[in-house]
Amino acid sequence: MDTSVEISVEINGVPVTRSAPAEALLIDFLRDDMGLRSVKLSCDMEICGACTVLVDGLPMSSCTTLAADVDGAKVTTVEGLITDGVLDPLQQAFIDHGAVQCGFCTPGFILAAKALLLRNPSPTRAEIVSALDGNICRCTGYSKIVEAVRHAASA
Amino acid sequence: MRPDLLEKVSGQAEFISDVSIDGMAFGKIVRSTEPHARIIGMDISLAEQANGVVCVLTGDDSDLLTQTDWGLFYEDRPVIARDRVRYVGEPVAVVVADTQAHAEAASRLVVVNYEPLPICATAEQALAGDAPLLHEDFRPISDFYFKGTARGKAGTNVFQDYLLERGDVDSAERSAHRIYEHSYSFPGIAHFAMEPHCAIARFDHAGLTVWSGAQSPTAVQKVLARVFGLPIARVRIIVPYVGGGFGGKASVKIEPLVAAAARKAGRPVKVLLSAEESMLTCRRLASNITIRTAIDADGAILSRTGDIVMDGGAYADTGPAVALKSAHRLVGPYRLPNLRIRARAVYTNTVPGAAFRSIGGPQAVWATESHMDEIAAELGEDPVDFRSRHLLQRGDAVIENLRPLDVDPAAMMDAAVEATTKGHNRASRGLALAVTDPGILPVAGAIVRVHADGSVEVRSMSVEIGQGVRGVLQRIVAATLSQQPEVVHILDPDTASAPYDWGTGASRSSMIMGLAVEKAAGDAVSKLLALASEAFEVETSAISLAPGGLEIGGRSVSFRDLFHAAHGIDSGDVTGQASITPRSLDGKLAQAPLFWETAAAACTVSVDPDTGVVALDTYAGVADIGRALNRSAAEGQEEGAAVQGLGHALFENLVFDEGQPMTAMPLLYRVPRLSDIPADWTTVLIENGDGLGPMGAKGMGEGGILGMAPAIANALARDHGVRLRDLPMTPERIWTALSSRKPHAS
Repeated sequence: MDTSVEISVEINGVPVTRSAPAEALLIDFLRDDMGLRSVKLSCDMEICGACTVLVDGLPMSSCTTLAADVDGAKVTTVEGLITDGVLDPLQQAFIDHGAVQCGFCTPGFILAAKALLLRNPSPTRAEIVSALDGNICRCTGYSKIVEAVRHAASA
Repeated sequence: MRPDLLEKVSGQAEFISDVSIDGMAFGKIVRSTEPHARIIGMDISLAEQANGVVCVLTGDDSDLLTQTDWGLFYEDRPVIARDRVRYVGEPVAVVVADTQAHAEAASRLVVVNYEPLPICATAEQALAGDAPLLHEDFRPISDFYFKGTARGKAGTNVFQDYLLERGDVDSAERSAHRIYEHSYSFPGIAHFAMEPHCAIARFDHAGLTVWSGAQSPTAVQKVLARVFGLPIARVRIIVPYVGGGFGGKASVKIEPLVAAAARKAGRPVKVLLSAEESMLTCRRLASNITIRTAIDADGAILSRTGDIVMDGGAYADTGPAVALKSAHRLVGPYRLPNLRIRARAVYTNTVPGAAFRSIGGPQAVWATESHMDEIAAELGEDPVDFRSRHLLQRGDAVIENLRPLDVDPAAMMDAAVEATTKGHNRASRGLALAVTDPGILPVAGAIVRVHADGSVEVRSMSVEIGQGVRGVLQRIVAATLSQQPEVVHILDPDTASAPYDWGTGASRSSMIMGLAVEKAAGDAVSKLLALASEAFEVETSAISLAPGGLEIGGRSVSFRDLFHAAHGIDSGDVTGQASITPRSLDGKLAQAPLFWETAAAACTVSVDPDTGVVALDTYAGVADIGRALNRSAAEGQEEGAAVQGLGHALFENLVFDEGQPMTAMPLLYRVPRLSDIPADWTTVLIENGDGLGPMGAKGMGEGGILGMAPAIANALARDHGVRLRDLPMTPERIWTALSSRKPHAS
């Protein structure tokens, strides 16, 4: 239990090297060690997507990923989508289309959508649905989230 | 723009689970594994010695509490189980440690010995004459949080027995041409807010401070004051952003337990529930409803009776209000000359029932709107036509002594039908209507403070839970003060600085807090004008507000200049404050409800005959909201509510088997996902500016949840020839119904 491992990871563009317990979860590493509170803990069993982060551009549930397993990777949270104070088009679209209510699932949705647009800049509705079906939102009813992603993709 | 959205998309928003307090420890709750049992022994010695453990709170710590049991209708719930547990999941101990991991590890070392007691697993068992009693002693408290007193019967498990009656049902039934009777069941439903319950409590020289994701902070404050023997003035509740609630964080939930743990620990304690634990904390009341309608020879409704039995779980919580409202919500927007609806709620050995978006509404509307279609089918009449012949009109009484209906149900129904007619067979559509009377107390206060730099702070207890209340309050205050919205700052709800408010729920905040901040901002305007009049020796009639300050006889004066002139230094503020009471607006708020929250829903569905899987193809929801104060947020409320209704309809079911929760974890509990949502989705907001709220707004946010399940069931019956009367309409139930269909049915 006391075994620590050294983790070198690029978080939101900044290289970080830290020692962490081998069993440390990525979500705790990001929230507690790195202060990235946008990474949200909800179901804690990889079914709701609230804790989604990008690892080398792919969406992963940080609640069920060991911090040690992202050694050498690039990790992105919504804080890292902001460039020189300017929101990513997806973040802006989520605001403009009312795709946010309580906001607890929002970072996970934005990152899952970001992963989609990185590999498919012009997704169909079906492709958006497929990419975001692993994220649960209990507030919005989803339609405005689809609108936001479609708008960001066409922007 | 809503001020919360930028924070939420950029990761800056602070939710209760993000809050950290100096010196805080972490509590993990040990929960009962028995549905009903005596606690005959508990060994906490191993846990106490475990790594990092600060203390273990148990039922033996009653001396920490001035009042050991609390509640809103009955003081029936122990802060922590003492010698008895009544549901699986009931807290029996809290292990407090220096880290969450240590608390969790040590919590597994607590050993509890139970002696099982006979249980009431279902409402039917609880109603039986020889049923074991969950509570021997009924202690109702009146007008405590809700108006009125629960009508329970000591010596039974019935904690509410409400009767709504008019006319003479018995005579009507004797003269009837036909009588139709059907029964419908509705399961327990988890709120499934994305952020589980969380609270932090701290005792210090000032008293007790609690940070909580609470929808009813002043109810939490009042209960904590009683439990710990503190003046209300020494109990402070602070609410940051809340990650969803839907009623599950309304009234009071984990706060007394967390505060007790903090008192024992002698340091601040944070308790963050897991998603499973939240599902063991509260749920929507399950119901069985039998509904009977008498029809004359012309097909006109003569009378209706309803018998509602709700499974309220182990503690009453807000259940008495849920049962009462279910009776009101069973009526529907129809002319029913004779009416008799009885609603009972009973204790069972399951997770306590609680408020959930439109309390009692979905249960009642599921029954009444399925029943309306069943009668229409029996009469061989189109369901739209059958409803049309009985629809109430604007100004009619839904229930005597309540406010006359303030919407036009026919217009709503037409809009829903129209939106689902394009390209679809009229005969395939499922329809449902609803009228509900929100249980809103028009009691709220607000403070609006204008600073010398032109910034404005708004202090209110309305909780930002996703509905966008901060954006609405910002808009109203900015408009009243003639300022840009960006200068108006809505502070986190904090009982130490904001006036009393009844709570965030029942579609009330935009309307009631909206009126309060409008009035408080108006008070600030009056004071600014008076100050300017004095300072500049000008009649107030020559002064008006303008962005950044005032216009005095054509001259622009900044707020800084005003305070400089008035105070001799360029500092100061003006504080406007106001209260809304039932006497406000010349008494117009005195009559309940403040508005009727109404819904019309229509849909089409398709079914895979091999699997029984149903897909929603088209949906339209209609709400009459008076005025949209934020269109996108208002649509979002309507759509989000409807999708929760879709969960009720097709997926969600908190199953209890002999009191054991079988589905109370996210892995086993299916909520709607994006792939369940059709692209063909229409949201219609009717705006006539005829509400009593700011700019003619009515409240909204609950209506959308009402119509989905019966609309889908009615579409299944019309288009696929199967009538489902039990929710959720699972593939298994649909496939079974399809399989037993008569071969010639279509």
